[in-house]
Amino acid sequence: MGSDSLEISINVIKMILIFLMMVQAVPILVWLERRGSAFIQNRLGPNRVGPLGLVQLLADAVKFLQKEEFIPAKGIRVLYYAAPVIALVPATLAFLAIPIGAPMSLEAFELFGSEWGPYRFALQGYEVGVGIVFVLGVSSLAAYAVLLAGWGSGNKYSILGALRASSQMISYELALGLSIVGVILLYGSFNFSDMILAQQGPLAIKAFGRELVIGWLPNWGIFFQPLGAILFFAATFAESNRLPFDLPEGEAELVAGFHVEYGGFKMLLFFIGEYGHMMVASGLMATFYFGGYQVPFMSPDQVLAWVSTWAPGANSAAVISSLLHHVVFLVKIAVFLWIFIHVRWTLPRFRYDQLMDLGWKTMLPWALANTILTAIVIAVAAS
Amino acid sequence: MNATSGVLMTDAFLFWFLAIVTLVSALSVILMVNPLFSALSLVMSMVGVAALFVTMQAYFLAGVQLIVYAGAVMVLFVMVLMLFDLNLEKKAFSRGPGSSFLKIASVGLFAGLLIGGVVFSELMTAENAETTATLAKTDGTRALGRLLFEQYLWGFEVLGVLLLVVAIGAVALSRSKGGTHAKH
Repeated sequence: MGSDSLEISINVIKMILIFLMMVQAVPILVWLERRGSAFIQNRLGPNRVGPLGLVQLLADAVKFLQKEEFIPAKGIRVLYYAAPVIALVPATLAFLAIPIGAPMSLEAFELFGSEWGPYRFALQGYEVGVGIVFVLGVSSLAAYAVLLAGWGSGNKYSILGALRASSQMISYELALGLSIVGVILLYGSFNFSDMILAQQGPLAIKAFGRELVIGWLPNWGIFFQPLGAILFFAATFAESNRLPFDLPEGEAELVAGFHVEYGGFKMLLFFIGEYGHMMVASGLMATFYFGGYQVPFMSPDQVLAWVSTWAPGANSAAVISSLLHHVVFLVKIAVFLWIFIHVRWTLPRFRYDQLMDLGWKTMLPWALANTILTAIVIAVAAS
Repeated sequence: MNATSGVLMTDAFLFWFLAIVTLVSALSVILMVNPLFSALSLVMSMVGVAALFVTMQAYFLAGVQLIVYAGAVMVLFVMVLMLFDLNLEKKAFSRGPGSSFLKIASVGLFAGLLIGGVVFSELMTAENAETTATLAKTDGTRALGRLLFEQYLWGFEVLGVLLLVVAIGAVALSRSKGGTHAKH
């Protein structure tokens, strides 16, 4: 956590801030989803409360808090209450492990009358050495929230939705895991920071001891792993139960699937969990395939050097450059979140057998082929 | 505050907290009447073990524990349990001398394991120190991979074949005469 009281408290505050950022992004995303769907379907959407309907979020939050407390008569109390909380935990833990900005190195400075040594703060909740494994492991627990909600509600629709959801999550987890093996092979690391730093500058292809530099393209993972990127992004749609993979809550046959019996704030927690998964997926997309928090064509050191030319003092330059990288990361995430929303309102839902066929017979073999091909190419090119 | 003593204290607190969570949920696996709650307790104890791995800096093992056991195997267990009528199971396992004997026997086995762990703890920690010394020199994951694919390649491959045999066997059994997926 840190070596002295200031470092520890800053790290704790940082964790809380990132968690709050994730939770606070949800109402904005809901607003974006409703306005975006209206835009796509040639409607207006919520536009009455406040400018652009933005205060609608506040009204919704108050409504969620005021709803009646309700437990289904045949439900199991413990599971019914535990499920929404469990839905929130995996997404939060996973999001905290993703770097959302360049680490800032501060020189020694004076504050509150005492000297504080040089620090290095990473802009992420906590640094995990094997980031990918941690994120995959934590988010694989998300299936339990759905299962417990379905079983705890004591409702046929709930349990059908839960069974669908969990089998879908297990099936697509395989394709998800295999699709990023290519990335791990490419960067030779499980660590997010290492991966991001490997994507610096313009596109450089190293093979047979020579180097080909393409100046007008950034050195992003997508140019090395296009198939892996597509498979990964598609699998994350299934993992976060979004259309076209939202069979767990297919309204036409299951009312609302596993959260039929949930209302008010408990329903909202499921919502936050789903949007949290979207944010984690977008963050991973950016980290693996689009250079993470880095400004395209510029390494973090170059940005820091540029900021230092006009910022007063070395420490303020470090802070400004870190925040700049954070903004770049937010822009990248926002693009992917918009794609999530756009796809939801563009594509129809799969049939269940189509879903399973796609997962097991199409995506899994292609992910395997991608892995083997990447391994062979890397082995040959390195020789 | 002394930094090292603080770290030691948090380590000890974490260890005892996680150990208690793991043990209590492991016990409730066999003490719960409803099989579904048993399975969920098993998940809880697996998560506890994964967290213990994290406190020992074995991050890769912790992640794999979560992905494979808690995230995939146990989800399947819970899913299958939800498909069955559990009332029969509850009756069969909640009364009668047979079930009490099983319960007492499993508690005895568990206690034996615990006592064995305490008695032989010196032996285990000695081995542990050696492995951590070798692991500390290199990246843990890399070292693990090297061990698996160089020194223990034979065992690794045999285990893989064993799993394949089990999977094929399960399919063959279910499709043979009288199985759930029999053709005729």
